[in-house]
Amino acid sequence: MRGHLLRRLPSALLVLAAASVLAFGILRLVPGDPAAVLAGPDAGPEVQAAIRDRLGLDEPLPAQYLHWIGGLLTGDLGPSYVIGGETADLIADGLGATVELTLGALLFAVLIGGTLGVLGATARRPWIRGAVRSVTTAALAVPPYVSGVLLVLLFAVLLGVLPAGGRIPLLTAPDLGVQYLLLPALCLALPSAAVLGRYLEDSLRRALAEDHVRTATAAGIAPRRILWRHALPHALPPVVTLLGIQTGHLLGGAVLVEAIFAWPGLGQLAEQALVRRDYPVVQDLLLLLVAVFVLVQLLSDLVHAWLDPRIRWE
Amino acid sequence: MTELYPSAPSAVSRRTTLRAAGGGTLLLGLGLTGCRSAVEESAAPAVADAAGPRRGGTLTVAVNSDFTPSLLFAQSNQSLQQRLIYNTLTRYDDRLEPQPELATSWEYAADGRALTLKLRTGVVFHDGRPFTADDVIFAVKNLQNPVRAAQLRATAAAVTGFEKRGDHELVLKLAHPVNNLFDLFEFMIITDPGSVEEAVAGKRLNGTGPFSLTRWSPGTGLGLKRHEKYWQPGRPYLDGVEIRVVPQADALISSLRTGQSQLSYSVPGRNLATVAGVPGLVVSEYATGGGASYLGVNTSIAPLDDKTVRQALAWAVDRERILKQVLGGYGLASATPWPKSSPAFTEAGRTHYRHDPGKARELLRSAGHTRLDLPLLHVNLPGETALAEAVQYDLQQIGVHVTLEPTDAATAQKKLISQSMPALWAMGHSFAQVQPSTLAVSAYPFNAAKNTSRFRSEEYTRIVREAWTSRATGAGANALRQRVTDTLLDEAFIIDLAIRGSVQVASRKLRGATLNKFSYLNLDDAYLAG
Repeated sequence: MRGHLLRRLPSALLVLAAASVLAFGILRLVPGDPAAVLAGPDAGPEVQAAIRDRLGLDEPLPAQYLHWIGGLLTGDLGPSYVIGGETADLIADGLGATVELTLGALLFAVLIGGTLGVLGATARRPWIRGAVRSVTTAALAVPPYVSGVLLVLLFAVLLGVLPAGGRIPLLTAPDLGVQYLLLPALCLALPSAAVLGRYLEDSLRRALAEDHVRTATAAGIAPRRILWRHALPHALPPVVTLLGIQTGHLLGGAVLVEAIFAWPGLGQLAEQALVRRDYPVVQDLLLLLVAVFVLVQLLSDLVHAWLDPRIRWE
Repeated sequence: MTELYPSAPSAVSRRTTLRAAGGGTLLLGLGLTGCRSAVEESAAPAVADAAGPRRGGTLTVAVNSDFTPSLLFAQSNQSLQQRLIYNTLTRYDDRLEPQPELATSWEYAADGRALTLKLRTGVVFHDGRPFTADDVIFAVKNLQNPVRAAQLRATAAAVTGFEKRGDHELVLKLAHPVNNLFDLFEFMIITDPGSVEEAVAGKRLNGTGPFSLTRWSPGTGLGLKRHEKYWQPGRPYLDGVEIRVVPQADALISSLRTGQSQLSYSVPGRNLATVAGVPGLVVSEYATGGGASYLGVNTSIAPLDDKTVRQALAWAVDRERILKQVLGGYGLASATPWPKSSPAFTEAGRTHYRHDPGKARELLRSAGHTRLDLPLLHVNLPGETALAEAVQYDLQQIGVHVTLEPTDAATAQKKLISQSMPALWAMGHSFAQVQPSTLAVSAYPFNAAKNTSRFRSEEYTRIVREAWTSRATGAGANALRQRVTDTLLDEAFIIDLAIRGSVQVASRKLRGATLNKFSYLNLDDAYLAG
């Protein structure tokens, strides 16, 4: 395994190095720079020049690149140019918020999708099955920027029971934090809940049609026990696989929901950093994404090699 | 196709479903009622006094952009916290007369080249250190540093010497007389010299203001608490202030409607009609305006080097329609940059260019043109795009076919400063709300020596210099201001369109919140009524 890891490591490092050059280079090719943003529309060229000098933007590009990479290698991501604060803190805070939102949405997706799936597959009355189908269709069809506004109107404006936006970290004040989390998590979860619900419904129907379920029914086992002990365990594995894919979708979809609910996650941070040309923040975020991808690939390679010895000997 | 097995177990009966739903609702209800409410928490009530202002409570202010610590000494999109954490030397009243803050009195030397300031005693920073004349010396020198990107740097740079007379008296010596020194005093926050680098990094903001910073979470906002040793006795009334970042306009409005926040200056003009009808909210407008929208003209590109063509563009624009459709009716349609509060404002100047397509076409013809094709750059934000489209439509009516070039703000600002704008651009400028000379000296689009329009005129340079350094008052000062206005209108290298409204949306319970001329929020006397 160690040999396999050593064979894979150089290509992973090469990908990271290439990504760092691309992230650095692309940003420099985009018009506008942090000094222009900081100087503002009323400042003159001398102000912009002084800011460029302070930020080190007058240095040759290779020197700027090496300065950035040198910092990264020593664990110092440096200060943000425009947003303010330390880049590492900004990314850590944003990541925490996005993960919190995604996990909340995942929980909702499982609860709602699971309920709808079971109802759709087991309800005897056609109208219940029709209602489940209508709900999943609506949840899939309505985009988050519409469902988000509707949720705010209902729960924040009309009922006044939940805040319209913002965030209090769950770990800081769990009772308040969960109230801030409910609406964005529900908004983000709805499309995934619909997908999970439909998939579970189909999978459960197949499981309920299996011979062993028929035997269990004939043996007089209670319907509830048949569902929980015999049908659901057979129906769940493909749904769990889908759940993994949906988690990725939730992370991606969080960007839009963050904007609607003023949720200060990674999406908001990336948008702010890009618009304001905050080079260190954008570069570090891009490299972080690539690093996560490379790490997952590396782990996947290792797991494959562990499962299939032939790969290790290639 | 998979068929439902005929005798499939109905594992979930209606009763079970109802039980589950009921249980879930109960749990959610218990969860939400058993703990603090986030909605009530954000509108923490004040404790009632017997009469008059009420002490206590936390005010939540919704903003659409976050505090940018590196722009602490410049006017940026979000400057509300400046006067909460810090103080200024003086503040203007409605008639642009300076009133005491940290400076209690002042006296000009006879030749206008020195100003003696008496400073307030008994003022302490949040860390307990007393305020002295050294802090004022540092504040002025700090703004002279171009890295601070302070728009009033030219005025700060006119201060060339300091004479300390004890800890609370200071003489500022000037290279030449300037008539906008009190604009600098309104603008310049007094910071603690020892922690200024920490301040611009957003780590520690140590001021003498009514509130001290407890928390800055990038992307989320600022938390402030009452400064117990504030120099104004009994002030502030509020225990704390939360400045909450809500970038999306709909979310910001929802936050106001639900009472989650009680004050905002960030509601876009086109959305103000929505909040104006909400019973618990009050919409009010400041006469200083919130900057101005203008059409910039690159005078180095033919045929825009001909001022007759530029004047034709100025006559072609329907400013009233822009005010109504783009700014939601809040603001002032105006051909000059001056808001109503400015001493340079005149009704004749405001209406100098009216919407007259016939006259515009005639001027174009007299300059030898019947059709022009010009690019127009604008920032690709909803309000800016609407402005550019309105201008595009108006110019098309006189035969000027405009191609819109939407771009992001960073690129637009880079082009603005590097004088690489296309023939036309539509943007906003500030600094017309104080002494008129400040606009010409501090706002780059109007700068006489070098500006985005590449407009150079010895006459304009001379007039601006005279307006800045003149010690004339009354009729003499008015005459100078009028000459600046006349030149701007005649040369039309910046075609002003409308003064943007500075609009406050506040809860009916909030009293006493005010803005200074640079949009610093003053909550010294603010309180939340019961």
